[in-house]
Amino acid sequence: MSNGIILALIGAALASLLAGIGSAKGVGLVGEAASGVVSVDPSKFSKVLILELLPGTQGLYGFLSSLLILNRIGILGGNAADLTTAQGLGFLAASLPIAIVGLISGIIQGGTAAAGVSITAKKPDHNGKAIIMAAMVETYAILALLVSLLMIVNVAI
Amino acid sequence: MSGTKYAKAVGAVRAMESSLLSRNDIDQLIAARSQAELNALLAAKKNTDTPQSTLAEVWELVSNYAPDSAGLKILLYRNDFHNLKAVIKAMIHNRDPKLYYIEPSNVSLELLTEAIGKKEYELLPKHMRKTAEEAYELVTETLDGQLSDSLIDRSCLEAMQLDAKRFGGEFMQKYAELTTIAADIKTAYRCSLMKKQYLFIEKAVCGTSEFERETLARASAEGTDAVFALLESSSYSEAAALLKDSPAKFEKWCDDIIVELAETARMQAFGIEPLAAYYIAKEAEIKDIRILTVCKESGTDSTAITERMRKLYV
Repeated sequence: MSNGIILALIGAALASLLAGIGSAKGVGLVGEAASGVVSVDPSKFSKVLILELLPGTQGLYGFLSSLLILNRIGILGGNAADLTTAQGLGFLAASLPIAIVGLISGIIQGGTAAAGVSITAKKPDHNGKAIIMAAMVETYAILALLVSLLMIVNVAI
Repeated sequence: MSGTKYAKAVGAVRAMESSLLSRNDIDQLIAARSQAELNALLAAKKNTDTPQSTLAEVWELVSNYAPDSAGLKILLYRNDFHNLKAVIKAMIHNRDPKLYYIEPSNVSLELLTEAIGKKEYELLPKHMRKTAEEAYELVTETLDGQLSDSLIDRSCLEAMQLDAKRFGGEFMQKYAELTTIAADIKTAYRCSLMKKQYLFIEKAVCGTSEFERETLARASAEGTDAVFALLESSSYSEAAALLKDSPAKFEKWCDDIIVELAETARMQAFGIEPLAAYYIAKEAEIKDIRILTVCKESGTDSTAITERMRKLYV
């Protein structure tokens, strides 16, 4: 196995790993706040569930980026390409935007959504506002995903 | 995003806050024509099955949700030290301490009775040990209950301030400070009315950055006018006007400044503050219901009841 393919695999691993950690931390935090609300008022379960799902998207973006890298380097088809070190570094660099932004935005979005759970708990009619505020953080994860995707599909093999 | 370990607890507290009484609810309760109507209105406001009609029940609920209740325990120090006074006096006068014990408390009646009875003060929490020993010796040697009471009261305020700095953060420090200021003003005013000597007052007041112990004790020893003058020159001039007007209004102000502090935690998403604020809010609410019930039973008119109602968190 060439150095290039190892670097590309590290990139694929980082995209899933870091973005996944961000999402897990974010979802976990909102889950804690949500379970506090549901323990008092179970009827609010569906409303707080939407907030809990929001920080989970970063993990999906990381997973999608990893799949694309694995597909491009031929690992999924069982016919791994012979990549140069430069090409491998290209894939590694391409994974970084979603890996790093996914990690940080997942945690931050978790905090925002958990704070939004308080809005849902006290004023259920204003649940939409809590969702919008948490969703604003998502913008930057989407931008990072776009950059990662554009880089992954444009690395010349 | 500090205090995220309290996320679950804050979520639960925010959900419970929707069942707190608002000013409109209080107005409706005041307008209630009978005790049955009052109870029906209160029952309609409940949104949880967990009983929260007493502070002991509220405390159990809040402390069960809190992952770390060291900072919250400061809220019960006044009860702890009151119970200490009650147990010492009950033992000396051969009475049942259970009659004077109030809940919630960080120290159970059994533990307190055992520690004082056997003089095993190390059984008590650290902040009470020295005070318990000194107060018991003082009261058995001098038979002066007032002296031991003032020692316990001051130690309580000192312990609150000290532990608020150690565990409680800014909110609990402010809580301890406001509680101390209110208690010190009351002590200084009463001592001036009773014409107590400077040496007694100096031992009875605790002191804060706003009112230093010596300054307050000196003013109190000079008389009520000096106490009012000191208050008027401070940022608590409102307290002087209320105290001159009526002690009941001043007592209401003491409760209201604590609720105003609790209001600052309404915007906080995480941390110990929303939990402490909820307990304070319930304390004010339960006090309001008690005042309301007593006033209704004694036939007090609605205007007088409204004046006595404490500020609400909602």
